[in-house]
Amino acid sequence: MTAPDSVLAGLDFDATARHRGGANLEAHNVSAWFGSNKVLERVNLTMPARTVTALIGPSGCGKSTFLRILNRMHESVPSAKLGGEVWLNGDDIYAPGKRITETRRRIGMVFQKPNPFPAMSIADNVTAGLKLTGMRVSRSARADLIERCLTRGGLWNEVKDRLHAPGSALSGGQQQRLCIARSLAVDPEILLMDEPCSALDPTSTRRVEETIAELAPDVTIVIVTHNMQQANRVSQQCAFFLAAQGTPGGIVESGSTAQIFGNPRDPRTADYVNGRFG
Amino acid sequence: MTSLIDESRPDDTKEFARAEDQDRPRTIAAGLPPSDHVFRAIVRAIGVSVLVLTGSIGLFLGYQAIPTFKRYGFSFLTESQWQPQLDKVGISAVLLGTVIVALIALLIGFPLAFVTALYISEYAPARWKSVAISMIDLMAAVPSIIYGLFGFAFLEPHAQDLARWLHQNLGFIPIFKVDTDPNAASWSPAAYFGSAFIGGICVSLMIIPLACSVMRGVFSLAPIGEREAAYALGSTRWGMVRAVVLPFGRGGIIGGTMLGLGRALGETVAVMLVISQTFEIKFTILSSGTNTTSALIASRFSEATSAQLAALLTAGFVLFLLTLGVNTVAAVFVSRSRSGAGVEI
Amino acid sequence: MTATTAAPQAPDVPRVLSARSADDIGSIWGSALAAVSFTWIAYYHLLSFSGIVGFVVVTWFVFLAFVAGVTLVGNPVPVLFDRLATAILTSGAMLILLLVGYVLIFIYRRGWPAYTKANFYTQDMSGVRPTAPLTQGGILHAIVGSGIQIGIATAISVPLGVGTAIYLTEVGGKLAQTVRTVVEAMTALPDILAGLFVYTFLIIGLHWDRTGLTVSIALAVTMIPVIARSAEVMLRVVPGGLREAGLALGASRWQVVRRVVVPTARSNLVTSIILGVARIAGETAPLLIVSGATIFFNADPLHDKMNSLPLLIFAGIRSGEPAYEQRAYGAAAVLLTLVLVLFITARFIARDKLAKRARVERPAKSPVLPTLEAGNAPS
Repeated sequence: MTAPDSVLAGLDFDATARHRGGANLEAHNVSAWFGSNKVLERVNLTMPARTVTALIGPSGCGKSTFLRILNRMHESVPSAKLGGEVWLNGDDIYAPGKRITETRRRIGMVFQKPNPFPAMSIADNVTAGLKLTGMRVSRSARADLIERCLTRGGLWNEVKDRLHAPGSALSGGQQQRLCIARSLAVDPEILLMDEPCSALDPTSTRRVEETIAELAPDVTIVIVTHNMQQANRVSQQCAFFLAAQGTPGGIVESGSTAQIFGNPRDPRTADYVNGRFG
Repeated sequence: MTSLIDESRPDDTKEFARAEDQDRPRTIAAGLPPSDHVFRAIVRAIGVSVLVLTGSIGLFLGYQAIPTFKRYGFSFLTESQWQPQLDKVGISAVLLGTVIVALIALLIGFPLAFVTALYISEYAPARWKSVAISMIDLMAAVPSIIYGLFGFAFLEPHAQDLARWLHQNLGFIPIFKVDTDPNAASWSPAAYFGSAFIGGICVSLMIIPLACSVMRGVFSLAPIGEREAAYALGSTRWGMVRAVVLPFGRGGIIGGTMLGLGRALGETVAVMLVISQTFEIKFTILSSGTNTTSALIASRFSEATSAQLAALLTAGFVLFLLTLGVNTVAAVFVSRSRSGAGVEI
Repeated sequence: MTATTAAPQAPDVPRVLSARSADDIGSIWGSALAAVSFTWIAYYHLLSFSGIVGFVVVTWFVFLAFVAGVTLVGNPVPVLFDRLATAILTSGAMLILLLVGYVLIFIYRRGWPAYTKANFYTQDMSGVRPTAPLTQGGILHAIVGSGIQIGIATAISVPLGVGTAIYLTEVGGKLAQTVRTVVEAMTALPDILAGLFVYTFLIIGLHWDRTGLTVSIALAVTMIPVIARSAEVMLRVVPGGLREAGLALGASRWQVVRRVVVPTARSNLVTSIILGVARIAGETAPLLIVSGATIFFNADPLHDKMNSLPLLIFAGIRSGEPAYEQRAYGAAAVLLTLVLVLFITARFIARDKLAKRARVERPAKSPVLPTLEAGNAPS
């Protein structure tokens, strides 16, 4: 499923774009602990470039933990530990000597609760990532960048005459799209989304899903979602996570979305996608 | 509404129909047990007596302004000398000194308090964080006379050296001028003894823990969601602090600073132990001699006639208005800011 | 699980991730060494300055310059600011924290000759000249005096302060708003004015003598607003749901306060009371005005002058007599110890509460996913 070419037409990436079409991400034997409590057991998953991969499964089975491992946010919790490797285009992001801030710039994240910076205007929010990572952009290119990112985030038409309003003055759905635009400004190769629509109303949800579809050809997207129908709608690849009582979580089955939903191999997957447990 | 009253019916149904017309709130008797009445009375009496006691102090101080201005006139505010034998009293020099010493204390204390607060809140390793917080709270608990001792015995000689260095190298700036030759072969430390500079240094020791605690409390309330957003964009720790913590904590920074200023204005003992009291309007902070309102009161109360006592009380009242004003502004800043929701100052 | 294979695998153990890269550590330490040696040569030998304070200051600036220079080679600008910020913040905080420790050490060292003698604690200064050696005389009268004055002041202030706090939180009303405003305003009163008020009103106006009681009243005037305010905060923190639960069971307001609110807030109240006591233990300014000094032991607060630790310290330092000064430092050490003991006691009582609160704040999030906490940042 590719986005219509008209969306791409006229969006010219400037010289700071270091890639085209996203990168692929692979998890090899990823395990996770909080203190002595193991929460993920040897997760292996390939998230191909230019696709949307959905991580589905009931709550509490480690999907969000896995996602946070992908951009090195997991280790910010003091008791957190991990094992295994995460390869970005073949390179382990946890190798010693890898700069963590660079990794996070290349693998962006949108959170469940929208978190625009309230002390900044909408325009400043979009370019906040540039300021924070020291990426330079000339004044003329800046306005273009803001317009481009807000368009890709699906917010441009609604805020183009009030770019200097504070970032918190928007509705929840608009705030989330602003956060998407903000993440896009630093030109990530991968965008992780942790249940981005769970705090939004249905209309905003639909708009965000449209945005995801439009972004897919340029940015690899990994989305955690509780909502199976959403996973079916937006993703091309799917991974089903499960944690039995008292055991660490892991992937039961992964494959193309069509196959997971239409013809699952594992009976637990079939039970879940058919709504027999949630 | 059609009448439902059937005149042929007994009386009680008439009552029912009439009551339905009136949809108004009932007055309810509280029906408190007697112990509660006693409790409320006692507690209210305590509250009111505290109100009277503390409020009367403020009124008493203010009331002294009447005889003072009647006797000394407006020159009370412009006269710099305090000579009780000649009955020539005025607080201009003293007020100026109070403000100068407090400002110096603020200039030294604010950066140190800010830096320490930010370090403890954002940079200190988890193990040492509570130790550091305890140290700062301990610093606040140490009595001011101890800091006065420390200032007098340890800091004063070093401050004199520093004052001389400033005089030598920056003496062209007016506030650093002193009436001696800084490059003389043998220089007398007495020229720099007991200056507003050392007074300010000493008082800053008391401001720092106060401002630091308020700022630190506010920094720690910065929302986690915004912090994570900054990190997820690839920010360094300092970048996150600048983008999230500092804007959020702005009210606390200002509020904590003003609280410290209020404390500095009223400080007595530490100042008295390190300065040599003079009565002149001066802006040169390195030169010997300065004065503050509280030092004035402490040193001149015993020989004061009743009129001069009223004058001292008026001086105290002016000081009280200053500290009250500063504290009120501080509270407003903290409560109005985003960070003010959970912070008590 | 579909992902695992039958082949033997490496053991599943956590990776060791370092928060700092070798580049970080090397840059900082290398710059530090370079700064010290460079400044050593330049400061002492090339420019012939003297004095250790100047050396330290210049070394610090040179250190920052080196860190900046080293970082700019091969690192983006935000990393430069991050490293400089870390260096500046860390050194500033260390300066303050070490200063606090040094103040304590300084006082204890200076007072050592005085407070290590037994007669220091058992005798007063009657019949002993201020210039007499430290083996004669002591500060018993000041210790006892301080104890009595603080005790009476606390006995006055705590019921009034806590009672006011209960009035403000449990009864409330329009008058209570006025009380709250005035009490909060009075916390801004400089302590010397409390002393001056008592002096003018009681000593001059009502012709009272300068006794221990007058001092206690002056101290209480300072203490009451402080206790009232912090006690009010502690009582307000008690959740309203607890009060409602008590009332719903049929208890009267008084019973709810007595059996629910106060016990819940008890350790917090005790902590704030202890801290209030610690604060007035060191109060000197009102004493300068209201208290008389005496060399005699006096345990009667209603008659005759009563000495106290802060007053003795102040007089001793001002006197210029070396022996008297040493006694003053000894008294300062005793005062400092008193404050430290009160402080540690308050901390100890509050400690369990802090630990419990940290644990209680978790359950809102899923137990599998604790998130970033303020201050626990990755580098």
